[in-house]
Amino acid sequence: MIGSHNYFTSSIGKKQIMALTGFGLVGFTLSHLLGNLLIFLGPDAFNFYAYKLTSNPLIYVAEAGLLGMFLLHICLAVILKLQNMAARPHGYYVKNRTGRGETIASATMPYTGLILLVFIIIHLLNFKFGSNYPTTVDGVQMRDLYRTVVEYFANPLYVVWYVFAMLALGLHTSHGFQSMFQSWGINHSKYTPIIQAASLAYGVVVAFGFSALAIFCHFQN
Amino acid sequence: MAFKLDSKIPEGPIQEKWDNHKFKCKLVNPANKRKYSVIVVGTGLAGASAASSLAELGYNVKSFCIQDSPRRAHSIAAQGGINAAKNYPNDGDSIWRLFYDTVKGGDYRAREANVYRLAQVANNIIDQATAQGVPFARDYGGYLANRSFGGAQVSRTFYAKGQTGQQLLLGAYQSMMRQVGKNNIQLYTRREILDIVVIDGRARGVIVRDIVTGDIERHVADSVILASGGYGNVFYLSTNAMASNVGAAWKAYKKGAGFANPCFTQIHPTCIPVSGDHQSKLTLMSESLRNDGRVWVPKDKDDKRHPNDIPEDERDYYLERIYPSFGNLVPRDVASRNAKNQVDEGKGVGHTGIAVYLDFSAAIKRDGKEVIAAKYGNLFDMYQRITDESPYEQPMKIYPAVHYTMGGLWVDYNLESTIPGLHVLGEANFSDHGANRLGASALMQGLADGYFVIPYTLGHYFGTNDITKVDTTHPEFQKCEDEAKAKLNKFLEINGTRTSDDFHKALGKIMWEYVGMARNEAGLKTAISEIQKLRKEFWQDLKVTGTNEGVNTELEKAGRVADFLELGELMARDALERPESCGGHFREESQTEENEAKRDDENYAHSAVWEFTGLDQTPNRHKEELTFENVPLTQRSYK
Amino acid sequence: MSDNGQNITVHLKIWRQKNRKDDGRFEDYTLNDVSQDMSFLEMLDVLNNKLVRDGKDPVAFDHDCREGICGMCSLMINGQAHGPMRATTTCQLHMRSFNDNETIVIEPWRAQAFPVIKDLMTDRSSFDKIISSGGFVSVNVGNAQDANTLPIKKENADLAMDAAACIGCGACVASCPNASAMLFASAKISQLALLPQGQVEAKERAAEMVKTMDEEGFGNCTNHAECEASCPKEINLSNIARMNREFFKSKLTSK
Repeated sequence: MIGSHNYFTSSIGKKQIMALTGFGLVGFTLSHLLGNLLIFLGPDAFNFYAYKLTSNPLIYVAEAGLLGMFLLHICLAVILKLQNMAARPHGYYVKNRTGRGETIASATMPYTGLILLVFIIIHLLNFKFGSNYPTTVDGVQMRDLYRTVVEYFANPLYVVWYVFAMLALGLHTSHGFQSMFQSWGINHSKYTPIIQAASLAYGVVVAFGFSALAIFCHFQN
Repeated sequence: MAFKLDSKIPEGPIQEKWDNHKFKCKLVNPANKRKYSVIVVGTGLAGASAASSLAELGYNVKSFCIQDSPRRAHSIAAQGGINAAKNYPNDGDSIWRLFYDTVKGGDYRAREANVYRLAQVANNIIDQATAQGVPFARDYGGYLANRSFGGAQVSRTFYAKGQTGQQLLLGAYQSMMRQVGKNNIQLYTRREILDIVVIDGRARGVIVRDIVTGDIERHVADSVILASGGYGNVFYLSTNAMASNVGAAWKAYKKGAGFANPCFTQIHPTCIPVSGDHQSKLTLMSESLRNDGRVWVPKDKDDKRHPNDIPEDERDYYLERIYPSFGNLVPRDVASRNAKNQVDEGKGVGHTGIAVYLDFSAAIKRDGKEVIAAKYGNLFDMYQRITDESPYEQPMKIYPAVHYTMGGLWVDYNLESTIPGLHVLGEANFSDHGANRLGASALMQGLADGYFVIPYTLGHYFGTNDITKVDTTHPEFQKCEDEAKAKLNKFLEINGTRTSDDFHKALGKIMWEYVGMARNEAGLKTAISEIQKLRKEFWQDLKVTGTNEGVNTELEKAGRVADFLELGELMARDALERPESCGGHFREESQTEENEAKRDDENYAHSAVWEFTGLDQTPNRHKEELTFENVPLTQRSYK
Repeated sequence: MSDNGQNITVHLKIWRQKNRKDDGRFEDYTLNDVSQDMSFLEMLDVLNNKLVRDGKDPVAFDHDCREGICGMCSLMINGQAHGPMRATTTCQLHMRSFNDNETIVIEPWRAQAFPVIKDLMTDRSSFDKIISSGGFVSVNVGNAQDANTLPIKKENADLAMDAAACIGCGACVASCPNASAMLFASAKISQLALLPQGQVEAKERAAEMVKTMDEEGFGNCTNHAECEASCPKEINLSNIARMNREFFKSKLTSK
């Protein structure tokens, strides 16, 4: 009997996979931020880092995995949202939060998620598949990604959009980070407040970290 | 005499009666059980436990409740706990002592054999509930905790926070829902019983109204079990739930079931008082509050000062004064009656003048606020939520309220009423509490009846009776349905000016005034004539809106009030015909020099069983004589 | 019984719907001289008595014990389940929580799994179905051993009691932005998983109850915690976490 209801289509299974993929994406985002901070050290450090990263053959496996996680995360989000809408076909005339549960971050997850989806597509087009300038570091020929980035952020509108998207990212992850612990059954009166604080800190760090880079690059022009 | 009251008490010493009887009970073989069907009305402790245990045995069960889910029956509101003679605390308890205390506490108006059986199976209830996952309170060693309750001298009460009734009910509900899942129980929620169908002298079915659709349905079975609760709502204001009603039991009475001791009502001393005409219900505050609270009123009449401004020497701690040894811990009926006396003398407090103070300032001073908050925090919060006053800062106001009805349909040792095949369980029967129920004994009785008695005695009924096959096309079903429909139509046709609530409130006032805490001959006669008058007005001036179809809460209420208007008269009549005082029934004519209840064992050591003789006819009063072979008759004293 | 209450006027905006099929609409009522000592449901009683006297159909709403334990009362009051007071059912909410001339919007629970029957009454039998699919210990009467044979850690017994305090009112579903029933289901799964008596069939219970919950059309949990915040019995979110663990364990080790 236990097997007759599929884990992957069950309400709890879906949210646990959502949490698992979210966990991967949160990890990726943090490593991405740490790598990008090399921009502050100048073009050579950053370009060399990017070169090392992309010249490793394992990158294709990592990229495929990342893409998989993104797609799974997005697909599940869409399914969950549709199911949740169907679970309440007739909404409330007045709905007030208690102020002790739902937060702006949790309430806006689908919307911040949508912003991030749009952002990621643009982001890939602009940078990964953007202008490719050659440069040489320590005698090795490589892509001058630093220049691509700095040129892009010369436009203040791009900076504004980027900062906006990063705030969405911060908001999204500040709920998502703590949420994945709950989804996997980790809730403890001693540790949950710490997880919640860490979650908020994570959201703030990624939002301000990435935003700072964009603003920094803008002023490199 | 149309019916014979055979209590069917088994032979032998009291300790062996139940075991002997169980052995003599006819069995139904497992393959045959599924051929029998049984209707269970009500899903409180008694109904849910009966439905689940009968379904477990293999019977086909149909279960009916008025709420949207069986989990909401009013057993859920019981706070304090459940008694059993486990003697885990090693403090001298035993089955015999529980039996003895219950007979004595009931003021010698219960049947010894039934009470002994109750005390015997009580231990099994604790085992069963624990096995179901009922989270009883435990000590640090992991074993079950006990407390003393309601002035008992031993700690025999098991509890689950202040929600013991809820937890026991959910345990029974879950067992029942397990059987619903297995299709052994057909569950009918939001149904109201309109009639009991009796064919060839046996209870064979019910006529019910689906409250959602308004459809009238017929249900047939080989036996009918009523576990429909008490009738405290006849007083309009009580601690009962809004839908608690006497409908099913009353219909049974009118079909020939004897109604025993209807005047035995328990009035609980510590309830939040009435605040105005809008009041729909009274809220009980646990009896445990009297362990630390001191009851008082101002010494002067009409003292309108704020309680905190009344100096110590101008307060009358009347319970401590009158009962120096028991003080504030006198039994429920004594505490209630004394509160009424103070109010009658004009010393009542609050804006209505119908309340007394229950003061915790001395306890707070002695033990500190934290200690008191740990004990009563939940209750204090609830009180503050309702009254907007903090018991930490000023005394609570309390007043007695109708809480439980010991009277009910008469049943024999097998829990069978005077209608063959109609078994009555829990508060709906008159059973085991005599004239006064001890705290934490209601839960015990409901579950004892459902889990441990009816599974044996129902089998015996099936095994010893030849039950013919009938179905819902039988003319008696048609007749009952037609009558039920005619009555509903009548309610709708009157088209007068007063709502059911108006009549219910008016009835409640008469009942509270004359058939309440203290009764006397003149008052009871007045009550009878006033109720008759009110009933006449009801049938001429009632206003019910809407139609027979769909949800019509006014129509439901009209039916319930119509029953209460008949029951109220029977209660007054029963009280009138019992000129002695006993337990919760206090006749002003029968009191000691110290104003205590005085029994008349010579003439009234019996249960009064009323037989319906027709609408607006005086019913017949029969007697079941009670013999006390094991518990000597003594007069209670709390001085 | 406070002697402090005043009389106020309230403007009610109440959802009226004849039956399951009716579209429904709001209707406005004004009540004068409402004592602040009244409970919210008593205020509705006053309205209904007035409507009946005027020959109109009274507002249907669910209620029974009126002391906060049966779980029958509901109502979305000004957009909050059971109204504005924390840890309080509608029947224990009093009119002193409202101001003179305030407009109060009263709606039924809204969820696919809780269809409206009439006005403010909803059908919550989906909760019963969840329980009947596994919310029990399979112990027949007569099977039980002595209650003290199995000692249970006090901490676990207390946690089980906290979970068992659920009154099944449905406020969690009503207030959840996704109309999810996870708090309800998890309270029972948790209670029984915490006790040795319940552990024997813990796997089957978690699997079956979650399955039924999904089939009944409740939404998915996205960890907003609005359920916990609006629960009149303050059932803790950690119960959902425990259910998530139990369900995963169950599925991981199923055959």
